[in-house]
Amino acid sequence: MKKIATFVLFLIGTQMVSTAQTAEEIVKTYIENIGGEEALRNIKNVKMTAKVDAQGMTLPLEMINTSEGKMIVSFEFQGKKMIQQAFDGETSWGVNFMTQKAEKADAEQTENIKREAGDFPEAFLDYEKKGYQIELIGKETMEGVECFKVKFTKKPLLADGEEVENVTYYYFDTENYIPILTESEIKSGQMKGAISQTVFSDYQEVEGVYFAFSINSRLKDGQGQPVTIEKVEVNVDIDDSIFKFPETEEESGTEEGK
Amino acid sequence: MKKLVLAIFALSTLVSNAQQEIPLKGKELFGDMKARHIGPALMSGRVTDIEGHPSNSKVIYIGTAGGGVWKSNDGGVMFNPIFDDYCQSIGCVAVDPNQPDNVVWVGTGEVWTRNSVSVGDGIYKSNDGGTTWQKMGLDKSDRISSIKIHPKNSDVLYVGVLGALWGDSEERGVYKTTDGGKTWEKIFYIDNKTGCSDLVMDPIDPNIMYASFWEYRRTAWSFSSGGANSALYKTVDGGKTWNKIHNGFPKGKLGRIAVAVAPSNSKIVYSVLETEFPDKNGLYKSEDGGASWKHMNADFGLVVRPFYFSRIVVDPTNPDVLVKAGLYGSISKDGGSTFKGLGAMHPDIHDIWFDIKDSDKMFAATDGGLYRSLNQCVTMEMIENLPISQFYHIAVDNQEPYNVYGGLQDNGSWYGPSSSPGGVEARDWEVIGVGDGFRVYPHPTQPHIMYSEMQGAENVWRYDAKARQTRTIQPLPVEGDPKLRFNWNAAMTTSPNNPDRFYIGSQFLHRSNDKGDNWEKISPDLTTNNKAKQNQENSGGLSKDNSGAENHCTIFTIAESPLDENIIWVGTDDGNVQVTQDGGKTWLNTTPNIAGLPANTWCYHIEASKFGKGIAYAVFDGHTKNDMKTYAYKTSDFGKTWKSIVTDDIYGFARSLQEDLENENLLFLGTEFGLYVTVDGGMNWSKFTNNMPSVAVHYLEMHPKTNDLIMGTHGRGVIILDDVSPLRQIKPEILEKPLVFLKTPPAILWEESTFGGTSTETQFVGSNPSRSAKIIYYLSKRHTFGKMTMKVVDMEGKEVTTLSPGKQKGINIVEWDGVMKAPKVATGKTFSFGGMTPPRVKAGKYKVVIEKGKEQFETEIELKYTPNTVFTLAERDEQFKTTIELYKMTEDLAYLVYELDEMLKYIENNKEQKSLSKQGAVLNSKLNDLKKTLVITTGDNYVGAAEPQLREKLGDIYSKVAGYYGKPSNSEYQNIKLITNRFNKAKTDFETIKKGLFAKYLSSAEKIEIKAMEIKSYEEFVKK
Repeated sequence: MKKIATFVLFLIGTQMVSTAQTAEEIVKTYIENIGGEEALRNIKNVKMTAKVDAQGMTLPLEMINTSEGKMIVSFEFQGKKMIQQAFDGETSWGVNFMTQKAEKADAEQTENIKREAGDFPEAFLDYEKKGYQIELIGKETMEGVECFKVKFTKKPLLADGEEVENVTYYYFDTENYIPILTESEIKSGQMKGAISQTVFSDYQEVEGVYFAFSINSRLKDGQGQPVTIEKVEVNVDIDDSIFKFPETEEESGTEEGK
Repeated sequence: MKKLVLAIFALSTLVSNAQQEIPLKGKELFGDMKARHIGPALMSGRVTDIEGHPSNSKVIYIGTAGGGVWKSNDGGVMFNPIFDDYCQSIGCVAVDPNQPDNVVWVGTGEVWTRNSVSVGDGIYKSNDGGTTWQKMGLDKSDRISSIKIHPKNSDVLYVGVLGALWGDSEERGVYKTTDGGKTWEKIFYIDNKTGCSDLVMDPIDPNIMYASFWEYRRTAWSFSSGGANSALYKTVDGGKTWNKIHNGFPKGKLGRIAVAVAPSNSKIVYSVLETEFPDKNGLYKSEDGGASWKHMNADFGLVVRPFYFSRIVVDPTNPDVLVKAGLYGSISKDGGSTFKGLGAMHPDIHDIWFDIKDSDKMFAATDGGLYRSLNQCVTMEMIENLPISQFYHIAVDNQEPYNVYGGLQDNGSWYGPSSSPGGVEARDWEVIGVGDGFRVYPHPTQPHIMYSEMQGAENVWRYDAKARQTRTIQPLPVEGDPKLRFNWNAAMTTSPNNPDRFYIGSQFLHRSNDKGDNWEKISPDLTTNNKAKQNQENSGGLSKDNSGAENHCTIFTIAESPLDENIIWVGTDDGNVQVTQDGGKTWLNTTPNIAGLPANTWCYHIEASKFGKGIAYAVFDGHTKNDMKTYAYKTSDFGKTWKSIVTDDIYGFARSLQEDLENENLLFLGTEFGLYVTVDGGMNWSKFTNNMPSVAVHYLEMHPKTNDLIMGTHGRGVIILDDVSPLRQIKPEILEKPLVFLKTPPAILWEESTFGGTSTETQFVGSNPSRSAKIIYYLSKRHTFGKMTMKVVDMEGKEVTTLSPGKQKGINIVEWDGVMKAPKVATGKTFSFGGMTPPRVKAGKYKVVIEKGKEQFETEIELKYTPNTVFTLAERDEQFKTTIELYKMTEDLAYLVYELDEMLKYIENNKEQKSLSKQGAVLNSKLNDLKKTLVITTGDNYVGAAEPQLREKLGDIYSKVAGYYGKPSNSEYQNIKLITNRFNKAKTDFETIKKGLFAKYLSSAEKIEIKAMEIKSYEEFVKK
């Protein structure tokens, strides 16, 4: 009986230790739990094949990101591949739905993408070197789960010509130290001031690293359009020219899907 | 090591399971259930304070009486609520001049102390422009009048605390912090009755401040403004010492004192006094920083109702231009000598804001929302996106969609639909009463008849919406009656048993069985009839204020049992709960049987149960006695015994309760700080926070058809929690299983047009309920790792569509709009918009399958056609059959074009082969000629569009047929025939090429042993 009592005390003790967390410990545990620093550093690029259900249609999506900060997001519609957004390190661009021709994003958006280009594959990796800050705000229940709320402040972004704080709140599940939800304030446009949320689930391991295979972005308290990831490939061969803004009409950025 | 860890985990689960059952509470109970706001915003509600950014005129904050804090980022066009999780009654907002983009302070507790004013619970700070907030103490301050931040040091703040309205309190006076709000020091205090009603800082020297102190008190039956301790003080040493500055003020008692310094000349100070001498009331001016005062003006506009209007705002650039808040508001342009009224807007102006760059641009805070002017308040324009309306009470009818009825603080009585095409807009609401509005009821069976009232039942109207006729029907005193006492918010109600019956409460219960034409008294005086609480004509203090707001010893709530018309419950504002079981012949005062309830605590609501004649709930509100505790009791024996159903889970005093219509243990409680729910009869309570602000919930109603919970809030309009039936099914057993499907009523397949909606971007539009079928399940653990998918299959197991399952712990609601996936459409140069239409499924039963890791869960849902239809089943079947034929044709064409494209690609890839080149060239041209007739091969998706081809024509007729609910027309059939013939010809042409020239080409290719053509099967191709 006495033994059990001591053991229970021991349990309580460990729980107390585990509740006295710092933001640094949470982020460190998170990096370890998703595969560790080394595995993350070995990632040069990631190609995700996904689909999104929208208004009764299923649109196949493809997303490629590289550790150099290049990226391309495209979806297939009625057999045609449309590039929604791409960035080659200098120019951010996308294809106009009406004309199906590539157009450059405005200077502010391009600048903002540049500022966050070092965040792949994991923004928390070397966050201090990048000049980012983390702060533990407390515990909060999200998705019915107790979470650590961590304030993550990155380099400021531009919004309507002005520098604005770039804050994202991460909610790490206190059981697994995995983010299940992030929140940030919309900084420009008609929805300025509203809160956007991204919900993560269906984590699965690929090449030693856990990826969320279900990502749902939405307005706080609104309905989202979940993206279901079907395949994640790490360190695939990529022709760098796919990220480049097509200067001629032939390269206009639409092509027939596979 | 790993094993040990596992063992510890296993043991810890065992220990916790053995120790306690899982309590039925927490945020996860509600999961995806979300409240829906329908406003309205057209009459809006009381705005208490306006505060702008000191250097960016686009940023404006407003504090409201019961709707929290709102922020505009665009110069006052659009506003967003930024304080939803906290107390919604706002005293003041302050922006830190040192970090104006980030640091904002909010002092809670409105300072315009009318009878219906709410309470505050401290001071809050945001470091990110209002996105997140932290409470910084002063929890018992009750109401905060002013926050002044040191212009050079963000850690130094001075706060004026007006303090408790309904009782003595030592948390009053001027508070100072030097560490950004971590600790506070009370640096100036008068006594426990006199609070700081205004604190003003000199614009140049932060050591100079002016503080006005006000001795004031409310009870439920009286108001008193003024006393020997009301005074105006000044400090020149940062609050160390304070001196009265009354040189030029009249002697005697003072009331509420307003004070303001001209920002452009800090020697000029204005003050408005409430004194013992009416001709000495009004505006005083000092040109020497308060050393001496000169009486300037005693116009009505300056002296009216000081407790409600006590703010002076001086133009930031011109010391001679000032505005005094008031019934209509007054502006002076000659330094206070003369005033004129502000432009036409809702009366009762509480605050003014001058644009920092253009003094012609102004904002005014009123009882009816926020107004904007571009010409110094000559003409006013209302902000139309502030749904901060303050309902006292609501009711619903039985129409489809049902209407919500209710009355508002200073904004009359209204009804409007719970949903409307395009959303619930301003134009959907009808006004059916003037003055202050309170209880509004539809006649239970004649929907065009409705009842409304104004303050103190001065008028009770019966309105016939068909004839547009009103009749006033309030009970009148007859021979032998004493003066009838009606509450400000006079009790009245309809009967659940007799549609023409109507009750009104004075101190007596009055009953009419003919819609209010004739009345009988069916009770003696049911109140305590305490004469000491009936001297309202002497109420007000220095300025008389007998508006009816303090009428007391009156009946406040009436409930006839839905099970027996002879059982009637009555609650009074002075604490009685009376019941009759014989239709009013005899009454029993059950109050002495309520243990733990302080004497004379206001009975705010009685709910007569549907589950037993003797069962009732009573909710009591003690805040007018400065008692903020929650009181809710249940009786099962006609009031012989009462049991408290309140736990420590609840924050705030309560005013309303709703019993579920099916599950006796499911109860909803409306408190001053939001909505609470119990699923176990009151053993545990959980706050509902999904899109639900911490707003005062004054009345709750449940709709018997939709199971919606409808909330009349005093600050955020009408908020609806659609279909609460999932909560009826939460039992301890389901928390132990990984996934439990909850029953849902059959979903209706609606057949309405999507037209509707005329509001502009700047007008509030209330959201409609979702009309999708709902798949609802409870997950006992959040799904974070591994795959989880959901699909809908028909009863034969054939897949209809896939859906995205919710994964949170608790209630998940997945919506399905009753459609399959849109067809696969042929690829062309541009897009076929017709082909984007997903076909609707037929009514009937469907299976839903969830795969979660290795486990599979299955349930059935049912879809039904709307009963309000003009179509027969046969017509619908014909529509469905034709739609599916066209769907199939669309996919057939898509596959044909795919095959054709693959053939073209194969030819292209082999064009270097000399032996094939000639055949290839001929084929290429033949195939391309055919393709041009099948899909668009040039142009763009907008005005550069090319002539439509077969794909586009087929897409158009497909979406036309699929979009309608009935049988296709003859014209449509003829068009389908035309297109079918054309498609058949195309198929023949294609087959001719494929079997002729192309077959030869393939056999030639085979001879030279090049790679064979690879092509997907039809099934593989159309898979989505």
